[in-house]
Amino acid sequence: MKLLVCIKQVPDMESKFKIDADGVWYDRSDLAWRMNEYDEFAVEQAVQVKEATGADLTVLCIGPEQVKETMKKALAMGCDRGVHIADDQSHRRDPYQIASLIAAFAGDKGFDLIFTGMQSQDRGSGQVGVMAAELLGLPAVTTIVGFALAGDKITVKRELEGGVKATVEATLPALVTCQLGLNTPRYPTLPNIMKAKKKELLAVAAADLSPADALLQTVKLTFPEKKGGGVFLEGDVGEVADRLIRILKEKTSVLA
Amino acid sequence: MKFELTEEQNLLRDMVRQFAETEVAPSAAERDEQEHFDRALMFDRLGELGLTGIVFPEEYGGAGADYISYAIAVEELSRVCGSTGVTLSAHLSLCSNPIYLFGTEEQKKKYLVPLAEGTALGAFGLTEPSAGSDAGGTRTTAVRQGDEWILNGTKIFITNAGDADTYVVLARTDKEAQKHHGISAFIVEKGTPGFSFGKKEKKMGIRSSPTMELVFENCRVPHENMLGEEGIGFKVAMKTLDGGRIGIASQALGIAQGALEAAINYTTQREQFNKKITAFQGVSFQLADMATQVQAARLMVYNAAYRASAHLSYSQESAMAKLFASETAMRVTTQAVQLFGGYGYTREFPVERMMRDAKITEIYEGTSEVQRLVIGAALTR
Repeated sequence: MKLLVCIKQVPDMESKFKIDADGVWYDRSDLAWRMNEYDEFAVEQAVQVKEATGADLTVLCIGPEQVKETMKKALAMGCDRGVHIADDQSHRRDPYQIASLIAAFAGDKGFDLIFTGMQSQDRGSGQVGVMAAELLGLPAVTTIVGFALAGDKITVKRELEGGVKATVEATLPALVTCQLGLNTPRYPTLPNIMKAKKKELLAVAAADLSPADALLQTVKLTFPEKKGGGVFLEGDVGEVADRLIRILKEKTSVLA
Repeated sequence: MKFELTEEQNLLRDMVRQFAETEVAPSAAERDEQEHFDRALMFDRLGELGLTGIVFPEEYGGAGADYISYAIAVEELSRVCGSTGVTLSAHLSLCSNPIYLFGTEEQKKKYLVPLAEGTALGAFGLTEPSAGSDAGGTRTTAVRQGDEWILNGTKIFITNAGDADTYVVLARTDKEAQKHHGISAFIVEKGTPGFSFGKKEKKMGIRSSPTMELVFENCRVPHENMLGEEGIGFKVAMKTLDGGRIGIASQALGIAQGALEAAINYTTQREQFNKKITAFQGVSFQLADMATQVQAARLMVYNAAYRASAHLSYSQESAMAKLFASETAMRVTTQAVQLFGGYGYTREFPVERMMRDAKITEIYEGTSEVQRLVIGAALTR
């Protein structure tokens, strides 16, 4: 069995962001970079499948040279090899172009299962995984919080609005996008960090994969206006309590 | 000259920081309060993460990484808990390293492998009531009898004692020889008849790291457990302490970094006289000085660590790094408490613990005065 996990390098979300000179993205200088949190769930799940089945696991990442460090983390967590789609302009690309690069690479490789995060922490479109699946003609199951593989069938739990969960089955090959709650990503241990250095890291130029033209264009990026402190619930105590429970259920995982 | 960490060192820092913040930090105050050494957390987990044998080759159970990686690991642990930082430092620098440097192949297989893999905890017995800064004053004796050495004497202030499984112990094997000669090193296993533990110290800081006496009463140690040749114990001890200074310098650096971050977080929130207190230069200049000193300490520690890995001489550099980093830790933690005001003096906030933890870094593994002695001697040789 062949597995692919697609990851993205994003800034540490506690960074102080500035908008770049063009006004359409954040300034990428002086930031600390991390693996997109949702992609960590994807890597962990893929490594668990690899460990259970002996499958071969490739990690793919699109971006400039610096993303290799994040790829090494995925390799240290257990991926077998890396494919770096070298692209200095990846932050300018829309989700469709990113999906087209993934599909162009994966098209003839015969992957049985593809894992992605459900969205990136910076752009947050949530579109890349599903569009890659569409371009590859695969079924896609999004925002999964539970995963089981038996033979050529996967049974996954999806998280719906308001805390409702659905169970979905699909036959391989398929693509899943991973959500918080799916698993607890392992630490890359130091010996595995050292071993990751020796794993294969293949570079492919983005231009060689002929990315599609963009369908979307970011026109302007602005900071949100400063909001007042919190929400006040007023009225009858019983009713306020009901509204509070509803908010906690829908907006947080406190009562999930 | 390059001032960048490698990808591996960055990944290691991220990993240790995440572990330290999510698993070590939450219990740091309580462990300090209760003087509780939580071995499962403070040592066994480090083994699982591959941190107990960072600098040793894979064939001896290590990770095959460099001394900068070691410095980073101790720094990140100490940033949230000085006790966990010193547990690793004493285990790796003071017990595992002399076995790696001076041990026979058999000794390395038997003792270094479990130490490096994190299944055995190590400790180092040098200090005695009459042999502190002056290691030549060692009075513990070892007398040969057939294939065994019979140890008698008491070691004090031993980090990891009681819980540790493997001890490197210095004892006088030739009473006639001059002070620094006639001392030899031995590997002693916990549970050896005649080897017991004395009182547990009640300390100002690093209170969740155990510190105890080692008591030897006719303790028979096989000759094959002599570490290095007979009579070179002083050299073993000095080489061990060269490496140990990198560990303690890293611990001091981590404690200082933790206090600096706590001070920044607090002062950027705290308002007095209707403005953020960081708007007062009296506060922001203090933060600037603290950050500058921490950064200088970091460069000195990493430089000493680089030299150790590159097999360059590093005795002087590690002494300077240890001296500067430990005095920085004391100054920065004291300033952090001051910036917190009354809150900083309470155990509600971590800077009070950090200030208590910082003090020992100026004392153990060579006091600041001894570091100045080492540096001064090298300058005027």
